[in-house]
Amino acid sequence: MSLTSLTFLFFGLMVLLIYFVVPKKIQWVVLLVSSVIFLFYDNLNVGTVIQALVVLVPTYFLGMAIYKNKDDAKKSKRYLILGILIILGQLIYLKYTNLFLVTGNHILNLFKVDYQFGLVHRNSLVGISYYSLIMISYLTDIYRGLVEPQKNIFKCALFMSYFPILTSGPFIRYDAIENELYGKHKFDYKRMCRGLVRILWGVFKILVISQRLGMFVDTVYGNLAKFDGFYTIIAILFFTLQLYTNFSGSIDVIMGISEIIGIKLPENFTLPFFSRSITELWRNWHITLGCWLKDYIFYPLLKSDFMQNLGKKCKEKFGKKTGKKIPMYLSMFIMWVLIGAWHEGAYTFIIGSGILQFIYIFLEETLAPVAEKVNKKLGIDTEKFSYKLYQMLRTYLLFSIAMIFFRATSVTNAIHIMKNAFVWNPWVLFDRTSLYKAGLDMYDFRILIYSLIIMFVVQLLARRGDIREKLFKQNIVFRWVCLYSLIFIILIFGCYGPGYDPAAFIYRQF
Amino acid sequence: METSKSLERVHTHTHGYFYKTILKFICFTVIFCFLFYYVSNILWLNKTAVAYFYDEPENSIDVAYIGSSNVYTAFNSTLAFDMYGYTTGMMTTASQPFMDVKYLMQEVLEKQNPKLFVIDLARVGIDNDVYTEEDHRRTLDSMEFSKNRFEAINDFLELQNIPKDEYLDYYFSFFMYHNRWKNITKESFEGEEIFFKGYVCSKYTVPTIFQKKSTWTDEEEKLQESNEKVLNELIDYIKKENLNVLFVVPIKCYNDENVIKRTNYAIRILEENNFKVLNLNKEKDIKINFSTDLYNANHLNVYGATKNTLYFSKYLKENYDLPDHRDDKKYDSWKKEYKRFKKQYKKLTKNNFDDLLKDVKKE
Repeated sequence: MSLTSLTFLFFGLMVLLIYFVVPKKIQWVVLLVSSVIFLFYDNLNVGTVIQALVVLVPTYFLGMAIYKNKDDAKKSKRYLILGILIILGQLIYLKYTNLFLVTGNHILNLFKVDYQFGLVHRNSLVGISYYSLIMISYLTDIYRGLVEPQKNIFKCALFMSYFPILTSGPFIRYDAIENELYGKHKFDYKRMCRGLVRILWGVFKILVISQRLGMFVDTVYGNLAKFDGFYTIIAILFFTLQLYTNFSGSIDVIMGISEIIGIKLPENFTLPFFSRSITELWRNWHITLGCWLKDYIFYPLLKSDFMQNLGKKCKEKFGKKTGKKIPMYLSMFIMWVLIGAWHEGAYTFIIGSGILQFIYIFLEETLAPVAEKVNKKLGIDTEKFSYKLYQMLRTYLLFSIAMIFFRATSVTNAIHIMKNAFVWNPWVLFDRTSLYKAGLDMYDFRILIYSLIIMFVVQLLARRGDIREKLFKQNIVFRWVCLYSLIFIILIFGCYGPGYDPAAFIYRQF
Repeated sequence: METSKSLERVHTHTHGYFYKTILKFICFTVIFCFLFYYVSNILWLNKTAVAYFYDEPENSIDVAYIGSSNVYTAFNSTLAFDMYGYTTGMMTTASQPFMDVKYLMQEVLEKQNPKLFVIDLARVGIDNDVYTEEDHRRTLDSMEFSKNRFEAINDFLELQNIPKDEYLDYYFSFFMYHNRWKNITKESFEGEEIFFKGYVCSKYTVPTIFQKKSTWTDEEEKLQESNEKVLNELIDYIKKENLNVLFVVPIKCYNDENVIKRTNYAIRILEENNFKVLNLNKEKDIKINFSTDLYNANHLNVYGATKNTLYFSKYLKENYDLPDHRDDKKYDSWKKEYKRFKKQYKKLTKNNFDDLLKDVKKE
């Protein structure tokens, strides 16, 4: 069920209506039933039901067992590992089998063995990548003594499958959401208005901007022989924006619905393109994934016996400073590979969203002293706007290059796209017609530019405080003009209906 | 005492807030609907005669004429009113699929109670599967939001085997038309001035093109199965509702002889069911000249339309009991539209329509 479809609109309205009509005691049941409907809406069969139960049932019982045996570290650790193995085992089986098969085929090719594994297609439930990690964190938090397990298996099921977050996150934590998820909520008119505005804003980003950018990107990437040089460069730069507007727009819709219900979800984006480095960008992009991986992969890995021993050995060999950094970078490398793999079981994602990001951050950190010296010698004031702008553009460009792999169908395809960008044809930018041949005509380009300006201006204003609160403090005429404008911009200029495919959300597959 | 007063104040305040909120919500929705209607009209650039039919006051239509472009280019309802005083509402759209006729009749009956239905047979012989989405959309999207429209859409989509998940695109035509913002012009805001109570007179219907007259054969060819089913369903519907109906075959160049044969087949079925069918191609008194009275192979120009209207409006007056509203002030809009048509004619041809009328009457 696409977040901007009429089906979802109807579904959301019904959920909200029923949620606020039923006795407050059973409001959580409404959410559970809605989540189950959402979970199986596109994909209901015995296999998918088993998929959900394979995560829910062991997590529930093992969570209880871990808590009961909290004084027996060994036993509770065993239960935790068993739980993680079951959840990860299914996730790997459903999403990563092909990655192993492709790797196997490469190895067989390398040794010139005349055999190839056939790839498999496995149907997985929507949101499996999200709820699998959420349940791992749930078990780990019980093990760490941070939370108590949920005694009601149905409530546990709701935590696992809370429908707004199944398509695009954010990652939620049991201790942060428990009270609100199962709590009693009164209908609040102001909260509804705030939520609706956020939903509209998300839909604007998706339908007006992201889908329009996608039309250009799809045309260029789909016909690389025809569209090279500056077409490719623009497509590369556009794709990053497309990804951002699509993903953050989905998050806005999700946050809006949750806000109306009365559940506060953690923010997942805070202006990533104003970041001056890749490290900073990742603090503002898919924030909850980064936090999850730090808390449940990076730090445990860094503190593991293996890394501690490695650190000791490295310190002996390379000195205290370098020796300390080796296990940290190794843990970081593993974390980034996992981030890439989480996105999709394919090498393109492991490289684009993983290894390249690690390389950028590694180079940023190791070259920082060199850059500082150079800037000092050349007398460059790094606090001036021009330098900050240069850093932002550099960050955007580097991130966009990595995202080529995210969008490409294979590593070879990504390299082909990169090569394509080096064809010299600057006239396409100036001859008035060429640029409009790649999926977007002059009118669409105009709408795109105006919409991007609106988006960035609003986001800059939002930096100074809660923009929705400021809007609601304005007089009614101004407020309504803003709302009607947003609604009609979406209705008229949104890319939906026959000829468009609003359901093709980039992040939905995760 | 003080506590109860303050509680009362809180209570009143809560009530006030509640009603204020409801009122705001209603106002917001009403303004939204108004804006949406306005924007939809601007974006929907293919406004058809059907849309104008809905504008007519309740129970004010004497004849409901349902059919394709062969109706709205050939029958000048404002002239018919000027001549005989009865009103003809045009439920017409270009290339109107015959399967839509039943639903359009139902649409007419929602607000009108005509003494006569005239049904155009121009497309009875066209196979149902030949129609494009556009042909159907012109009619379906012209219809007002109703159960009847939903049923018409469902019928069409089932016939075309359209996947269920695409149905919403048809129910809510805005999904389709919102993308027309690129084609908005000054005219989109001002509205088109080419419809005169459903009759179309524009720069396209004035020119003359020489056409070869097609020979009407009396041979028959069986209708496509689905077409025959549609025809039989229509017959059943008319009988069930006990409606007064006249079927008409319009004048045009029939390049495809099979269409003539299939039309003859349909005529026979209709006549067997005791319906009156008037084949205008056989009415020599109309005196259509194929070298001067058509603007393309399928359509009469303004001269041909005048001849056709003079003949057919008289036929209707003589054969059916139709009232004369010319002295009734409630029907002044018909007079106004006739005047506006004459102005349009003068603008397009630099001549007076009354002169043309005199010439035609002399012939």
